[in-house]
Amino acid sequence: MAEPLINRADPESEEAEAEGALAFLRPRFAEERFPWIQVWGYGGSLVLTLGAYFSVVRHVLAPQFLVAAILAMAAGQAALQLGVFMHLRESRGLSWQIVPLALAFFTALGMIGMSIWIMAFKSGVS
Amino acid sequence: MPPFARYLLHTLFPPDVLRPTEVGADVLILATGVIIMVVMTRRHKWRHLWTEWLTTVDHKKIAVMYLIAAIAMLFRGGVDALMIRTNLALPGSPVISASEYNAVFTTHGTIMIFFMAMPFIFALFNAVIPLMIGSRDVAFPRLNAMSFWLFAFGALLFNMSFVIGGSPNAGWTAYPPLTERVFNPGPGENFYFLSLLIAGIGTTMTGINFVVTSLRMRAPGMTLMKMPMFVWSALATSTLILFAFPPLTVALLMSLIDRLFGSSFFTLGHGGMPMMYVNLFWLFGHPEVYIVVLPAFGIFSEVVPTFSRKRLFGYETMVLSIVAIMLLAYGTWVHHFFTMGAGPTVNAFFGLSTMLIAIPTGVKIFNWIFTMWGGRIRTTVAMLYQLAFIPTFVVGGASGIMLATIPADYQFHNSYFLVAHFHNVLIGGTLFGLLSGMYYWWPKMFGRKLDERQGKWAFWLFLTGFWITFGPQYLLGLKGMTRRMYTYPLGYGWHTLNVISTLGAFVMGAGFLVLVYNIVYSMRNGERDLTGDPWDGRTLEWALPSPAPEYNFARIPVVYERDAYWDMKEKGQTLANSLTVRDVHDLELPRNSSLPFFLGLSFFVVGFGMVFSWWIIAGLGFAGVAACLVAVGFDYRGPKRVDAAFIRGTEVALGRLRA
Ligand code: HEM
Ligand SMILES: [Cu+2]
Repeated sequence: MAEPLINRADPESEEAEAEGALAFLRPRFAEERFPWIQVWGYGGSLVLTLGAYFSVVRHVLAPQFLVAAILAMAAGQAALQLGVFMHLRESRGLSWQIVPLALAFFTALGMIGMSIWIMAFKSGVS
Repeated sequence: MPPFARYLLHTLFPPDVLRPTEVGADVLILATGVIIMVVMTRRHKWRHLWTEWLTTVDHKKIAVMYLIAAIAMLFRGGVDALMIRTNLALPGSPVISASEYNAVFTTHGTIMIFFMAMPFIFALFNAVIPLMIGSRDVAFPRLNAMSFWLFAFGALLFNMSFVIGGSPNAGWTAYPPLTERVFNPGPGENFYFLSLLIAGIGTTMTGINFVVTSLRMRAPGMTLMKMPMFVWSALATSTLILFAFPPLTVALLMSLIDRLFGSSFFTLGHGGMPMMYVNLFWLFGHPEVYIVVLPAFGIFSEVVPTFSRKRLFGYETMVLSIVAIMLLAYGTWVHHFFTMGAGPTVNAFFGLSTMLIAIPTGVKIFNWIFTMWGGRIRTTVAMLYQLAFIPTFVVGGASGIMLATIPADYQFHNSYFLVAHFHNVLIGGTLFGLLSGMYYWWPKMFGRKLDERQGKWAFWLFLTGFWITFGPQYLLGLKGMTRRMYTYPLGYGWHTLNVISTLGAFVMGAGFLVLVYNIVYSMRNGERDLTGDPWDGRTLEWALPSPAPEYNFARIPVVYERDAYWDMKEKGQTLANSLTVRDVHDLELPRNSSLPFFLGLSFFVVGFGMVFSWWIIAGLGFAGVAACLVAVGFDYRGPKRVDAAFIRGTEVALGRLRA
């Protein structure tokens, strides 16, 4: 028998662990004949991008509404990327996703929040 | 001449690539190219080059390619540095003009960071991380090759600007409005943005690869807290890459869109926010300096125990401080633009967070010192670089703390004091670390040691040259000399110090020549490493023959202790003497692929087309990228099988298995 390149843990013990209280950690992998979800996801992400672009270029909304609309589209875009392309719904186990995801959100929100704080300097000067 | 040809000639060869330096470079490049072509054809090496190197997915070969690129780029960046220094030694009659000087310090900084330090780091990661953790390759071997080719073609695009179209000239930081199209019309800055974007994709993929490799590919028994420190540093570095490169990508892309499509994200007019670019750039830039220095810390944590014949002092605190540095690195970026005047609260916050980083760094320094304490120290070249690193880096760190003191920074900012500071940490930290790692792991990569006596010459030239160059620059900074000036009036008392500094730079240049001679000499005449363990090492890579066979481990080892190989040797059970014929099975190894090369090439075409706004060429490149991605997606060929008989044969030939 060929030894696989990747050293996987013993599947039986993993299964035993995944019963009962830890059932939600059980590995899940989607298998479809045609990746419809990805195709729709790709279309959706393009629509959201172009939507943001044209709503700015065409000045369709008043500034505050524009910002709100773009933020909403950004949230949609993030959800779409994570759900469709980052395989959030399928996994080797949730624990591999929660921690990095939390870290990513913490870092991203930190960067955005701090940047706003830093770049608000003009309000203190002028 | 038809107008089309005239347009082409004028675009590709504007006046600023027709100066004597550039034409000289053209001749050299052409001559070298022709020589390489002739030699390769004479020796019928093209096929070998293609099948064994350009299409390889083997981490050990990718490491060698990264290393060659890094040393070549160290040469190019070094020549730039010598041009800078020559000009500054002759203030009355500058050798190169102001505009050429701008191009030279820009390419110097960009190349040293992105195309010298980064590939050098990836060379060492690729060379040893899989071996250290008892694995047969990285987690995603083909992705690894793609990373390399994106880097290589990005570097090619950047270096090309020197002789075709014109160099970027807005500093390695490329701040707007210096990069704004109205103020900087040529294609130079496009080269900068596009090559960094392309290489950046590769870097991000490398980050992903090494996070997954160090988390998922460890040999059985190697828990996180038994991982060698170099693997910890790879994990931390890769995590930093994952979070730091997105802001850079965004900043570069938005600047590029400003230039190519006339938007105004960062422009002076039309409500653009140039300072937002600065913010985004350093949001990346500060983590980046830790991306380049953490691997050096990892290297020293391997080199010091080996050459002190002791285990690493305070492993747990080492891990803790590397993680602390990793997290804190995201919280300090404003210290690069205190003078923007964001206000006292913001500046105070970031000044304090910057000083905080000195604590975990200090912990690491003390741990290395305590590791050496009472050990039996062997002063090999690898160890000498470590011994030089400690005082050099401490001075760099101390001047960093001075720069983080906000009122003082209003004086130091953008002066030669700053230049001296970052070279202290970049050369004393990163470069010394990488060279130490190169001398340490060279036998593992190539099967021969680098000659130690020549290595010591190179080391002493580098070290003395370094201090002669950058010591005076601290004083120059205090005397008010600012960075990025191509000449200066006499009578400020700057001249003598500058001449000394230039002399030092040439001493370093001599050191580089000795280093290259050392490498060339040792490729043929270096002492053969027949045991696979020339330094009496502690970690698993030394359990393998040098260089390691394609499949690395005939049987994946089981790890019980932190210094896994040391532990094996103490128990008298090395991999070699415990392997039996029955342990060897058929293996699966990743298959070579030409797609990574073509993906890189396609991106290069995209970049080249966009630099000159030749959209048809760019479109062709994009089509190539898409085609490569589709081909990757539909490649259903399985891995390559290596049968047990072949492995047994190899191991017997290496004397590691009795037939
Ligand atoms: C032979 C060794 C070296 C010498 C003599 C040297 C010299 C210099 C000098 C004089 C400058 C200032 C240019 C100016 O502002 O007018 C400079 C800038 C710089 N150097 Fe070096 N350098 C060397 C090696 C390195 C290395 C190894 C690295 C990185 C790993 C590096 C990274 C940089 C960076 C990032 C800048 C800033 C560029 C900019 O302002 O845009 N240098 N170097
Ligand atoms: Cu910084």
